[in-house]
Amino acid sequence: MSAVVKTVTPFTQRDLLLEALDELGVVYHEKGNAIMTERVDDYGAQRFIYEQGAYRFQHDSSPWRKLNFKEWKTVSAFLGAVEKAYHQAYERLQQRLAEEERRLLEEERKRFVEQQKQVVIQRAKKQGYNIKEIRKGNKIQLQLVRTTY
Amino acid sequence: MPEQRITITIDEKGQITAKTAGFKGEACLDELQSLLEDLGTIHEVKKTDAYYQQNAIKVTQKQTLGRT
Repeated sequence: MSAVVKTVTPFTQRDLLLEALDELGVVYHEKGNAIMTERVDDYGAQRFIYEQGAYRFQHDSSPWRKLNFKEWKTVSAFLGAVEKAYHQAYERLQQRLAEEERRLLEEERKRFVEQQKQVVIQRAKKQGYNIKEIRKGNKIQLQLVRTTY
Repeated sequence: MPEQRITITIDEKGQITAKTAGFKGEACLDELQSLLEDLGTIHEVKKTDAYYQQNAIKVTQKQTLGRT
């Protein structure tokens, strides 16, 4: 007999898992290294326990046990929904990081241009120029004028 | 009284274009050299019709942006 087994995505990021649970409207509270959900079975609240680098879902393993919990009766259905929401939260995080990276690069660019400008101005002043600065769109124009005798 | 003018344009990437007026001969290039030294590598020098009166020079920055 052969079989194909697929595991749920390991929930390694606590913040993303909480964001996913929030997205799904799951009520939870944190207790130590566990995230206790409002899903309750014979052994109490079903929970995500942090171990070996990821949050794993602990629940009653009775196969016939189905809970009337929102739209996810089975553990499999619930974890499927959490996994999907987790992936979406991960994508949002990636977008935020990319945006932050862009913002930092833009700030660095502006600092560099400003530094160029200041160096030219300081040197021009030392060489006796009067300086007028004009903004033309994204460009800076420095008009240096010096009277010769 | 005669004036010496330099118009320096810095674009959004830091590339510098400089135009001079009122300088004689090579003096314009010397003046630009002292103003723009270390700010970029000169890659284009255009001598305009009134070379002894006016020169245009383009400088590209040699530094690359990088976070420290």
